[in-house]
Amino acid sequence: MAIPANLELVAHGERPRSTLARLYLEHERLAIGGGTLVAVLLVWEALGRSGLVDPLFISFPTQVAQAGWQLSHDRDFWNDVEVSASEFILGYGAALALAIPLGLAVGLSKRLQYMISPFVDTLNAVPRVTLLPLIIIWFGIGIWSKVVVVFLGAVIPILINTQSGVKTSEARFIRVARSFSASRLKIFSSIILPGTVPFIFTGLKYGAGRALLGVVVGELYASTAGLGHMIADAGNTFQTDIVFFGVLVFMATGLIVVALLDAVERRFENWRPALSRS
Amino acid sequence: MTDAADGRRNGMSSAAPMRAANEELQMPGALRWYLGHERVILGTLVVMLFLIGWEGLERGWWADMLRPLLGASAERLQLKPIFISSPTLIAAAAFRMFFVTGEIWPDLAWSGAGYVLGLGLAIAVGIPLGLAGGWYRRFSYAVEPFLSALNATPQVAFLPLIVVWVGTGLGQRVLIIFLLAVLPLAINAHAAVRTTDPRLVKVASSLGASDWRLLRTIILPSSVPFLLAGLRLAIGRGMIGVVVGEIYGSAAGVGAMINQAGARFQTDKVFVGVLTIVAAGVILVEIVQRIERRVDVWRAPA
Repeated sequence: MAIPANLELVAHGERPRSTLARLYLEHERLAIGGGTLVAVLLVWEALGRSGLVDPLFISFPTQVAQAGWQLSHDRDFWNDVEVSASEFILGYGAALALAIPLGLAVGLSKRLQYMISPFVDTLNAVPRVTLLPLIIIWFGIGIWSKVVVVFLGAVIPILINTQSGVKTSEARFIRVARSFSASRLKIFSSIILPGTVPFIFTGLKYGAGRALLGVVVGELYASTAGLGHMIADAGNTFQTDIVFFGVLVFMATGLIVVALLDAVERRFENWRPALSRS
Repeated sequence: MTDAADGRRNGMSSAAPMRAANEELQMPGALRWYLGHERVILGTLVVMLFLIGWEGLERGWWADMLRPLLGASAERLQLKPIFISSPTLIAAAAFRMFFVTGEIWPDLAWSGAGYVLGLGLAIAVGIPLGLAGGWYRRFSYAVEPFLSALNATPQVAFLPLIVVWVGTGLGQRVLIIFLLAVLPLAINAHAAVRTTDPRLVKVASSLGASDWRLLRTIILPSSVPFLLAGLRLAIGRGMIGVVVGEIYGSAAGVGAMINQAGARFQTDKVFVGVLTIVAAGVILVEIVQRIERRVDVWRAPA
């Protein structure tokens, strides 16, 4: 009986707080996070501007913003964006188009799994960027070598996740559907596929990260255009502000792609009763 | 598989499973043996086919075989060794590099040094950072924006900056391996603290245990599986760091060797390098998994 009294004490203690304090407590996460971010940016700006650390090495936020503004009027920059975006979209699109159907098939057929898994497991163990020198020999230094690296990076996580999604379909549901003589197609479309969707999206998010990595490494390694190429070039000529801006663009791309995938996933998942989540 | 499923579907009567079992007994011995080892047999078969197909492309077996059918265009089926190499060429190159000239050992040592330092730094920073973030809510609010931003970025994009800061020596590789490996460690350590059984913490603190005591006796032991899982992820990310760091401006190391061999079209050496990295990654992950199993022994089944 001591506990309720204790709780009341706490509640009484909260009440006299000023509205400002309450506002802060409600948004503490935002306040502390935003505050730290601003503080770091200010210190960075001060270090760079005062020349305490050579701006050649660390640049500073307003310089980065300025570089970004200038780049946005630069035709070459938009060309780089276009090249990188097409590498990402082509490679990622191909990975998605191959890995989801193949993952479903491999999850459904044990024999297919036996035949494919030695290759998938091996490729999964290889950091795919290691293959870059070979891919350059095979596809040249143009856009296609990067498309292949992006594809190889993204295809494995999507495939593995899709496959394990099928494998973990609720066996009881399938048994019930069978005993009500549901056709194979019906079982697939109404039990297995919906159960696999969250796994597919996990794979897609993972794959997106790998795909971006492929774009960057591929372009750093050997390329004639693209954002990674721009970053490498700027680094070689000590234009640190441009490097930072390029990194920011990649960061934003990563955040946007994951947010988009989350939105699509919610769209697919809103039929699911809330109960089954807990 | 299909037979069993059909049996279950029609199987209102209990005779059906019996019949299935009988059929299995009546199968010829060879077939039964095949079904028992289907996984190994099919897997080996496909891999063998793949390797033979590859070897044949390089040696021109398929071109010779199909020449009567296709005429001159069959020549396309013979590829130059600089293009794809072949399993036997790769095996020969590996033997040479490891045991005859021994040229790969200095590269391995150089890469290993960078890897150990980078991964060590990532462990030393990532795990305390994650533990602190899991324990102190406000601290986690403060570092969260940076960590999620870093998580969304392909960390290798920082390479040109790192080169500006520390040059292309050992420091560059240590830093890029650190950047790649630190996040999974920090994120897992954070999750580990968050999923510690709150009842245990409450009991201990109401009995007057200090924060340090709580960390040592409750949080750390229950974190171990998470930390090891994070370590497994970090090992893989670190391997990417070794290769990318060395490919991008380094004179020594396995990654640099791969890079130089690629530039000289020594495709067999490239494959040897890739396989070496893979073997190193697989061995490290296997060691961590062994430790995981050992650590899990004392844990009461949930």
